Amino acid sequence: MMTSWLQDPSLMAAILTTWLPFISFLLIIAFTRDHRRLSGGIAIAAVASSLVGAVFLLARHWGAAQPIHYAARWLIAGDVYIPFGYLLDPLSLLMLSLVAAISFLVQVYSLGYMAGDPGFSRYYAFQSLFAWAMMTLSISSAMLQLYVFWELVGLSSYLLIGFWYEKFSATQAGKKAFVMTRLGDVAFFIGLLLLLLHLGNLGILEMNSPEAAARMPSGLLTLAALLIFGGVVGKSAQFPLMTWLPDAMEGPTPVSALLHSATMVAAGVYLFARLFPFFSHSSDAMTVFLAIGTVSMLLASTMAMVSRDIKRVWAYSTISQLGFMIMGLAAGSLFAGSFHLTTHAGFKALLFLCSGVWVHLYETNDVYEISRRGGRRLKTPMVCLIIAAAALSGLPPLSGFFSKEVILATLAGLRNPVWLAAGLLGVFLTAYYAFRLVFIILFPRGQVQEEPAHHGMGGMGARYWAMGLPLLILAGVTLVLGFLETPLHKFLSGGTAAYQNVGHAWLPYLSAGLAAFGVGMTWFEFGRRSTAQVGFVERIPTVRELFAQRWYLDHMYRRFVDIVIDRVFSRACTKNEDRVINDSIDGFCHFTLDSGHLLSFLQSGKLRYNLIVMFGALALVALYFLLA
Amino acid sequence: MIVPLGHVFLLAGLIFSMGLVCLVAHRNLIMTLIGVEVMMNAAAIAFVAAALRWQLMEGQVFVLFILAVAAAEVSVGLALVVSVYRRTGSIDPDRYNILKW
Repeated sequence: MMTSWLQDPSLMAAILTTWLPFISFLLIIAFTRDHRRLSGGIAIAAVASSLVGAVFLLARHWGAAQPIHYAARWLIAGDVYIPFGYLLDPLSLLMLSLVAAISFLVQVYSLGYMAGDPGFSRYYAFQSLFAWAMMTLSISSAMLQLYVFWELVGLSSYLLIGFWYEKFSATQAGKKAFVMTRLGDVAFFIGLLLLLLHLGNLGILEMNSPEAAARMPSGLLTLAALLIFGGVVGKSAQFPLMTWLPDAMEGPTPVSALLHSATMVAAGVYLFARLFPFFSHSSDAMTVFLAIGTVSMLLASTMAMVSRDIKRVWAYSTISQLGFMIMGLAAGSLFAGSFHLTTHAGFKALLFLCSGVWVHLYETNDVYEISRRGGRRLKTPMVCLIIAAAALSGLPPLSGFFSKEVILATLAGLRNPVWLAAGLLGVFLTAYYAFRLVFIILFPRGQVQEEPAHHGMGGMGARYWAMGLPLLILAGVTLVLGFLETPLHKFLSGGTAAYQNVGHAWLPYLSAGLAAFGVGMTWFEFGRRSTAQVGFVERIPTVRELFAQRWYLDHMYRRFVDIVIDRVFSRACTKNEDRVINDSIDGFCHFTLDSGHLLSFLQSGKLRYNLIVMFGALALVALYFLLA
Repeated sequence: MIVPLGHVFLLAGLIFSMGLVCLVAHRNLIMTLIGVEVMMNAAAIAFVAAALRWQLMEGQVFVLFILAVAAAEVSVGLALVVSVYRRTGSIDPDRYNILKW
């Protein structure tokens, strides 16, 4: 076995790509915690090698028709064994490269953002752990392996969200993220067990093959699909488990960029895409997914319309874009979802990283505050933010326009026009909330505070460029990625099907027009001179409150927890503890004590009674022998 | 053997019962000791009669042992009684309740 993996360059590249970050994690934790520069260097070197490996794999297998599958037996118990392996097919390779690229850029960016933080080494250790988990997840060959790394991704994101653990809100946010995603994962795991019982195997290729569906009753198949989708809902922060994502913005901004836009939450959508043939066996489940995606997209967009916190707006927009991807996938197009996943990773990371520059510089998340302190004078992030926001809104010729258009075309192919209408409404809302922020920063109202010169970008020097360079790279990617639509489609479909756009000819114009209308409306409310920068929803207090309170979802959870968990469940447990466990032990103690008291009368210490008893017993024994 | 064996056993039993009553009825350690002595002697009578009846010397040997033990018991027992009287000022065993909970 040793020689075989050394001889196969693909396998070797896959192993090195995924395991180097883990080695770097161990090295940093064990040896270099006190050497910040060394820690950062190790982590970045590891993730850079991973990026090289991933690109090598992508280039090597570009156009490969057959998926390449490596597996080894990992745990064996009787007939059941758990395989550990790699599955290299277009989708996983695309995701692997995406994760490696975003991780690399974010780690470089963090050199500037995290400089001077006391936990610098720890930060890079967690980043490496995260990269390892996420990359192995993306090329896992079997569901149980995927699940293990799925949970590891959850763990490392918990560590990164709660990175500033001195802050109470950060630890709370980390906990919330962990617990809420776990809710979905429980369903996911039950679904996996259900499949394991029926199929006896959880290899991804086996699950996706048509025979798998034939071997299960269709009701059970739908149930399993819904349960597994629970994991997607938790991880990708879809309705109704969506409220953890905005809170997770407590982590450092590059962490938000990495985890909550491009990779971790995208893992949910990736799982959907990964098991796409399996899910599409059950059309009922697909309809449910479509509804969940639509609801999440619209709800999150409305939440983003009123938030003042720049990072939260992007977090809501992440939820809504993930919902959009799920709509595309659930509508039956694997390419639509995964293409939007790719472009979204680029421009959403860009949005977060741009915002991070201001958050780092002004130490505030409030977009009005950033505007007042002259945020627009930082040229690089400002330009990049506009590019990314335009891509997010789906304005041509940026990447978002192309990928949204594919999803909308897929939705237009459905019989029910409601989905298409919802998608178009989403396009409008997205353009509105994205450009609301842009215009607020671009056109400050009131007195602009002039920062001292050394506080601006000039004083940061190398740190500024460590943060600026990834921005420029990502902006470049956002500009050109849309034009790669046809080759990407060819790659994902295994190089067979020629790509033709299935949508109606008027659809791109309509969606671009809607996006432009959204931008124009924002300009009307936020951009013009002499406006008060108050949006139309903010004028209606009830609606604003509804959106700002996230449709009272958190309140509902609170109520649910209060009523079901606290009042019923906890109380029952308390009673059980009090009445059953405590009282039974008490009863046992009392019984022992009382019987001891009772027996102590026998030990009266009176010699004569003892003697009487003794002789009485002897007499009885004698009598027994006599009679016998 | 002039006296029937049953009579001798009856006598031994009577003496044993008297010793037992003496043992349990009195609140006096010395009387308790005397009771024990009386019971042992009753046993000795039974042994002697049995040895005579079956013409075996072991019974008589046992009686000698009993006599020796009784002598030792009396000396040790009385010494204990004296000691316990000095310590507690009483020879009523019901009063010895220091160890009682």
